[in-house]
Amino acid sequence: MAGAYDFVPAIAALPLLAFVVSLFFGQYLPRRGAEAGIVATAGSLVLSMWTALTVAGVTGSATTYNENLYTWVAGLADSAVTLRLGVLVDPLTALMLLIVSLISLLVHVFSLGYMNDEGETGLPRYYAGLGLFTASMLGFVFANNLLMAFMFFELVGLCSYLLIGFWFRDAGPPSAAKKAFLVTRFGDYFFLIGVVGVFATFGTGLFAPIEGAETLHSFPELAEEAIASGASEAGVQTFFGLGPEAWFTVLGLLVLGGVVGKSAQFPLHTWLPDAMEGPTPVSALIHAATMVAAGVYLVARMYGFYLLSPTALAIIALVGGFTALFAATMGVVKQELKQVLAYSTISQYGYMMLALGAGGYTAAVFHLTTHAVFKALLFLGAGSVIIAMHHEENMWTMGGLRERMPVTYYTFLSGSLALAGIVPFAGFWSKDEVLYEALIHGLGSEGSIGTLLLAGYAMGLLAVFFTAFYTFRMVFLTFHGKPRTDTARDPEPVRWNVKLPLAVLGIGAATVGFINMVPVKKVTGAEIDYLHKWLAHGGIELTTSEHYGELLHDVAHIEQAELGPLAPGAVSLLLALAGVGAAWTLYNVPEPEEHTDRLGGVKTLLMHNYYQDEYQVWLAQGVTVQLARAADKFDQGVVDGVVNGISSVSLFVGSRFRRIQSGVVVNYATLMTLSLVLLLLAFVVAGGVL
Amino acid sequence: MPIAGPIEALLAVTVVGAVTVFLTPDEYAAKLATGISLVPVAVSLWMYSVFEAGGNALTGGDLAFESTLAWISLGQYELAYHVGLDGVSLPLLLLTTVLTTLALVSSWTPIGERESQFYGLMLLMEASLIGVFAALDFLLWLVFWEFVLIPMYFLIGVWGGPRRKYAAIKFFVYTNVATLVMFIGFAALIFGLGDSISSFDLPEIAQALRTGGNLETFVGIEPPVLRLAAFTLMFAGFAVKVPVFPLHTWLPDAHVEAPTPVSVMLAGVLLKMGTYALLRFNFTMLGETAKANAGIIVAFGVLSVIYGALLALAQRDLKRIVAYSSISSMGYVILGLVAFTPHGFGGATFQMLSHGLISGLMFMAVGVIYNETHTRMVGDISGIADRMPWAVGVFVAAAFGYMGLPFMSGFAAEYIVFQGAFASQVIPAAPLVTAVTMFGIVVVAGYLLWAMQRTLFGEYSLETDYDVTRAPVQDVVPLVVLLVLVIALGSAPGLVYGMIQDAVNPLLYGGVLPW
Amino acid sequence: MAIVTQYYLVLSAAVFCIGVYGILTRSNALMFLMSVELLLNAANINLVAFSFYYGNLTGQVFTLFTMALAAAEVAVGIGIILVLYRNFEDIDVTKAATMRW
Repeated sequence: MAGAYDFVPAIAALPLLAFVVSLFFGQYLPRRGAEAGIVATAGSLVLSMWTALTVAGVTGSATTYNENLYTWVAGLADSAVTLRLGVLVDPLTALMLLIVSLISLLVHVFSLGYMNDEGETGLPRYYAGLGLFTASMLGFVFANNLLMAFMFFELVGLCSYLLIGFWFRDAGPPSAAKKAFLVTRFGDYFFLIGVVGVFATFGTGLFAPIEGAETLHSFPELAEEAIASGASEAGVQTFFGLGPEAWFTVLGLLVLGGVVGKSAQFPLHTWLPDAMEGPTPVSALIHAATMVAAGVYLVARMYGFYLLSPTALAIIALVGGFTALFAATMGVVKQELKQVLAYSTISQYGYMMLALGAGGYTAAVFHLTTHAVFKALLFLGAGSVIIAMHHEENMWTMGGLRERMPVTYYTFLSGSLALAGIVPFAGFWSKDEVLYEALIHGLGSEGSIGTLLLAGYAMGLLAVFFTAFYTFRMVFLTFHGKPRTDTARDPEPVRWNVKLPLAVLGIGAATVGFINMVPVKKVTGAEIDYLHKWLAHGGIELTTSEHYGELLHDVAHIEQAELGPLAPGAVSLLLALAGVGAAWTLYNVPEPEEHTDRLGGVKTLLMHNYYQDEYQVWLAQGVTVQLARAADKFDQGVVDGVVNGISSVSLFVGSRFRRIQSGVVVNYATLMTLSLVLLLLAFVVAGGVL
Repeated sequence: MPIAGPIEALLAVTVVGAVTVFLTPDEYAAKLATGISLVPVAVSLWMYSVFEAGGNALTGGDLAFESTLAWISLGQYELAYHVGLDGVSLPLLLLTTVLTTLALVSSWTPIGERESQFYGLMLLMEASLIGVFAALDFLLWLVFWEFVLIPMYFLIGVWGGPRRKYAAIKFFVYTNVATLVMFIGFAALIFGLGDSISSFDLPEIAQALRTGGNLETFVGIEPPVLRLAAFTLMFAGFAVKVPVFPLHTWLPDAHVEAPTPVSVMLAGVLLKMGTYALLRFNFTMLGETAKANAGIIVAFGVLSVIYGALLALAQRDLKRIVAYSSISSMGYVILGLVAFTPHGFGGATFQMLSHGLISGLMFMAVGVIYNETHTRMVGDISGIADRMPWAVGVFVAAAFGYMGLPFMSGFAAEYIVFQGAFASQVIPAAPLVTAVTMFGIVVVAGYLLWAMQRTLFGEYSLETDYDVTRAPVQDVVPLVVLLVLVIALGSAPGLVYGMIQDAVNPLLYGGVLPW
Repeated sequence: MAIVTQYYLVLSAAVFCIGVYGILTRSNALMFLMSVELLLNAANINLVAFSFYYGNLTGQVFTLFTMALAAAEVAVGIGIILVLYRNFEDIDVTKAATMRW
């Protein structure tokens, strides 16, 4: 009997179908292709729910699924690896499938209001892009090996290019699209080396072993074995004479390159703020559920491999913590609504990386989940504001929108409270757990790794204040005070198709945190840490959080310190409240001023994003392009010069010899006669007659 | 075995077709030539569907559609007409027939004078290309190999751009001298083999060389030196055709001057002759020499990839961009070949096929834009996406194919090459070399995205006095067909990768299939 | 008494040298043509002389061929001279020094 797992490929295939339908037939449909997208993502959502229920054991006995479905490249010889595509469904996959298809559905609905109602052209292309985007992300989510993950990862990059550059008639979007693709491509370059390296090292890229007549091992499993009993015992080939642990660290860091690019971590975060040039629903999709989430999801997916390398973990934690703080400070001075949100995304993904680096697998997945909900909400809310403001995004032109668009205001507020980490909204619980995990593992571990984790924790904690501050600065500037322009006084109303997704997500942002209230559990003893339980169970033992806990302890030697969750939670909540309070004092007034001006030089630095873009543009244009020009000069001058030189020499020699060919018959005859005589003489001499 | 038929049919149809088209009035030539060229497509597709030979043609594997006919008796050597196909040559043959038809269709718009001669020459070129990939006797192969140059010379020299004479002569002389160099190398081998061979049959020569003991001292040159010298000369000769840095400078000039369909054939098929010959001669016959010098050879491959990509970055002419990136892409083939792993050889061969399709697609896409705008300069055009949406859509897809987007053939080919090269035992510091080469995928994205941003997007403007309208259907159809092929091969490389592996694995396992 | 072969050869050499001298010194196309005829006939004399000497008819047969060829050559040559005259108003071979004009 066909179970839910047989339909998992259809979860990605449906949006793919929507892509085809929208692209080729969208112009004949009344809503220009939105129908196809909505139906397909709704179908995906239903199938994802069914899958999740099956994973939970409600509608079937097998709680996980892992099969190779298609041989992409068959390696017939022994020494040639075979590359396959397959499906892996475990609790993590099921959760992510739900998130992606839900957000995508809501974004599709919202687009009816944001794109159709605004009379945009090129909608079939837009909905085709959304469909392909969703399909690639879903394919990435259920990929059962690293190569397949990479393939869909790249498709995600393509879709981001197409959608960010949707308004190609202006100068900005195509440039931003190019930057997004190029910067992430730079990260993917390292990822690709990592993929090739993993296959060359282990002969497989499976995330989890496939049980069967002949068990196919996964690469984290083989790596674990190699560290325990030596590389050759496990049938693993390392390179450059490195030991298993060192080589695995190299591989892990290479793959991390792709993660840093896609999840917009320092130093490859620069594409993300520019990507705001795309339509706002696309931003919601990119930030909440698809592209940016892909990076963090990948680390979670192959977490068993990263746990084998404490060095890699420490780097992840440090990058994450630093990015969280770094991006949050930049968010403080931005004037455009979407820019603030963009930097908050970078910062929030930094938290997830911090959690992963600190061994807080569940915390990271938890924050990924809650963030997906509240960031989608915030972007859609921003979209609603942008519709109302006739595509004006500068917050200084807004103000006082609270009374005029209450649905948007209250849902946006819910999302903001979640983002700022105010109890009991979703963000509080997840961010608190991230920081808690970083703290206890930092305190518990010895040596440099403990120090690094604590450094990450400190930066993450500091970022809490900034996050709360910029979030509420945004809320107050947009919705409170007096309207500062005519548009703000009389905003354009929005319809149900905008309000409905906002309402759904607004409720979500307030409640999603309840799936994992660890502090409450610790205090009351009630078994309400559902997400922990969800990720800890499963038929594939090697991808459960229980197993990850063992690895963390046994292999990475990261220990937990005994510490209650209340005190750290209180600290971060206090910091968040302080941030909100600061924003309240400064900006919740009828006529707010640009207090950031007082920062002076620091503001300039922040407005220029610490000159990150400048040096990257310099690397691309100042160095690479100049090098290319030099190479071109060399090619035209030296390499081709030699070729043309040879031809010139032969032409010159020819032109000299040509003088013999005077065209006068008599001269030819003379030459012939002379040559004949000479030849005869030569024969005579050589023949010895003379 | 006497005459099998299909290959002869292909040759006959194309040659007779060429003559017929020469004699046809100009106004019918285009349609007639295209119609005639469908016959080879059908025949080669049929050949693909019934193909079931295993093993490498030169190491004694099965051959499909083999024909032998005594030709000339030359002292001890019996020369024969000997043709046949294996898993390496059949995909390239398919590439030739399919790409020729599509190139012919894409000529309808841009070619407006001396049409019967143009189309006749194109068919003649197809005939000689089929011969190159099918011939198994050295002299026969050499005849076809050289004959390719003649139609190509006229196609560039007559229908080309302003500097066509320079480009055509450069192309002709450069590649001709290269053939001479290669010929000297191969002739030295034949004389060195002395009595141990009785014909110029390539399988016989290959097997004699692979067993190793048959090479004798020739004019005072010891066998090891002779091998090395012959290898070097042949490599240099074929490297011009590929082209490998630093023997590449004829290529951009030829591409820039050649009309679009000719560029398609040049990049799509003619460059593959070079890598095909490298595989057949250098890496099959003198494999040990190649292994011993892998470090040097791979350096040429890596340099071609990175240097070609950098050069492409510095160009403003769209065709020059694609031309230089062809150099870059062909560098991957060198990397794959020299790895001496199953996926290395397989990926290299697959890359030949894939690059044939993708570069053809790319040149056609540039051609479609040129047909409408009459300029190819980045900076002269911008924002034409609005005016010709479908053509631009395919252009974008093609560019992403070139950048190695998964589920398109370029990614499959490059990935297989990388996988093969990474674990190579032959290349020194193989993982590092592979990683450096892979940086090409970043640079390629850089220049293609930059060029697209400047030309396709933004506000519409055009420096030339033409009005851009939707591209005609006949211009877009070949693009779409190629795009479908590229996606099909990228999603299911197994369509040809199985037969390719059958043909290349014997090179690693002592001449026989390991399964 | 038969004439010894050497005499024939000397005669042939003399005729040949006269022909060569003519070609080298004259610029009139008609004189040129006549000199070429002399060269051919010098060869003919040789052929016939050796043929007679060896008692083998092949040489004589070849002479017939040569004569036929010479006749054809004169026809073509005079045709060329006529064209030359038409174009240059002269039959000086040194003036026609290019392939096209």
